[in-house]
Amino acid sequence: MSHSDLYVEVDRSAYTNALAESSPITKTFFALSALFLCVSALSARAFIVPIILFIICTSLTLGIAKVKPHLYLDMYAYPTLMIILSCTIIALFFGVGEPLTQINLQWTTWTIYKNGVTMAINIFLSVMGSLSCLFFLVLTTSITDLSLLLRRVHIPTVLIELSILIYRYIFMFMEISHTMTTAQKLRLGGNSWLKKIREVSLLAGNLFIRTLEQGERTFVAMNARGYDGNIYALEEFPKPKKTMLAAIILFDVLIVAVIFLTLNSGVI
Amino acid sequence: MLFRVENLTHQYSDGTLALKDISLTVDKGERIALLGTNGSGKTTLLNHFNGILKPTAGNIHFEDKPLKYDTKSLLNLRKRVGFVFQDPNDQLFAPTVKQDVAFGPLNLGYTIETVKKLVDEALTTVGMTEYANKPPHFLSGGQKKRVALAGVLAMQPEVIIMDEPTSSLDPIATSDILHLLLQLNKEKGISLVLATHDVDIVPLFADKLYILNKGKIVSEGTPKTSFSNTELIRKVNLRSPRIAHLFEVLKKENNLPIADELPLTISEARREILRLIAEVCKETKNSV
Repeated sequence: MSHSDLYVEVDRSAYTNALAESSPITKTFFALSALFLCVSALSARAFIVPIILFIICTSLTLGIAKVKPHLYLDMYAYPTLMIILSCTIIALFFGVGEPLTQINLQWTTWTIYKNGVTMAINIFLSVMGSLSCLFFLVLTTSITDLSLLLRRVHIPTVLIELSILIYRYIFMFMEISHTMTTAQKLRLGGNSWLKKIREVSLLAGNLFIRTLEQGERTFVAMNARGYDGNIYALEEFPKPKKTMLAAIILFDVLIVAVIFLTLNSGVI
Repeated sequence: MLFRVENLTHQYSDGTLALKDISLTVDKGERIALLGTNGSGKTTLLNHFNGILKPTAGNIHFEDKPLKYDTKSLLNLRKRVGFVFQDPNDQLFAPTVKQDVAFGPLNLGYTIETVKKLVDEALTTVGMTEYANKPPHFLSGGQKKRVALAGVLAMQPEVIIMDEPTSSLDPIATSDILHLLLQLNKEKGISLVLATHDVDIVPLFADKLYILNKGKIVSEGTPKTSFSNTELIRKVNLRSPRIAHLFEVLKKENNLPIADELPLTISEARREILRLIAEVCKETKNSV
């Protein structure tokens, strides 16, 4: 069984959430259109829109798909930290034109521009909103469904087959590398920095060889079941409900209206 | 006669002579066990049955016709001869259980409806229907083995070849898989060829036993006759089933009048013990 890394939890959530059986077309259409609108709202500086989308997507993820809040917070942790740092820097050091405040330092005058603060706030809200749309999609739709969707949209089958196989073997090899690292640690490896580098390189080399061997074995096994170069699809995911699609279109139109109404409202 | 192997020799590209002059037959409905230590050539031999390996010398016939190795012939062969690998991680590659089991039938060109039916039947037979939409990395070892078997069953083979089916399985999982295989053999007439080094399961399952040592067949016969040759078993670094060993010791050390063919299973042991007790009682009665 896989242990609880974040990517394992995300994968598990994609299969066990309350919306797992819904049509991936609906979910993808909603999430991608919301994402697009969120990013457009950034240039339109309509700061209400990302907040609205954040609230809606988070409620869908936690309330309707019943994803564990713990997991949601874990996913937000690093990006939020990064975006807060970045936006602080932007607010404090970027911008042109009208100043907000000026601080006199001994060697120079440090100007904080309204422009910069505007940019920082809008970027922060937009990123948090966009992440919520993306997390909704990622936490409720499995890679299997997504790859079937891509097949429908006529992405070259080679890429899809590669992604299916890579998906399966990522899990296997993360497990193996974890086991090997633990085995190294249990023999008290990694005391010094240089030793650690050497151990990681040994691990990577060994793992590479193992992946080659596994590829060979899997190929033989696939041949033994009649593989002829094409991975045929057992295509069956639920058809999207027309009412849902109409509702999403309506929702998108409303958001566009809100963008127009609140144009340039996010300016300090 | 399904398979006929005559004087099969196989040499790997690095010069290792893995099989030397192997001859054996597989008949319809038979349950055959290939017993041998690690490195005795079991897997190499199995790989010849569905065309993964070609003989360096000698030949192998399926239904009296020599195997052909072009794509079409191999596909036809593999439709009828299913192979379950030792490590299910080698065999399970698809994102979900259902898609993996569907892989074989889809490659055989059946319609989607037929494939769905075959997948459902196969999963029901191995008892994994609730796991149909789960990814393989959520499954335990025994469950993965069952899904691998389902993937082969869905192709409706006449012969199933399994490489070490019970290795790394706990006792319940071992007994479950053996029951399943016996059921498939009785109800669907599927012939079985198993390679194993687990000596204790052989009497429960096989009606014909070949013992391999260093690429050669050193014994051919039923489990009863083969395991009675305890010297040979030891010479090839195997051991007898526990029960046979016990009775061998009783025979040699305690001179009990045990039959020449040693009991191999618990029910045979029970019969023999009760018989011995009855004889001892009779003798005591007679001498009184």
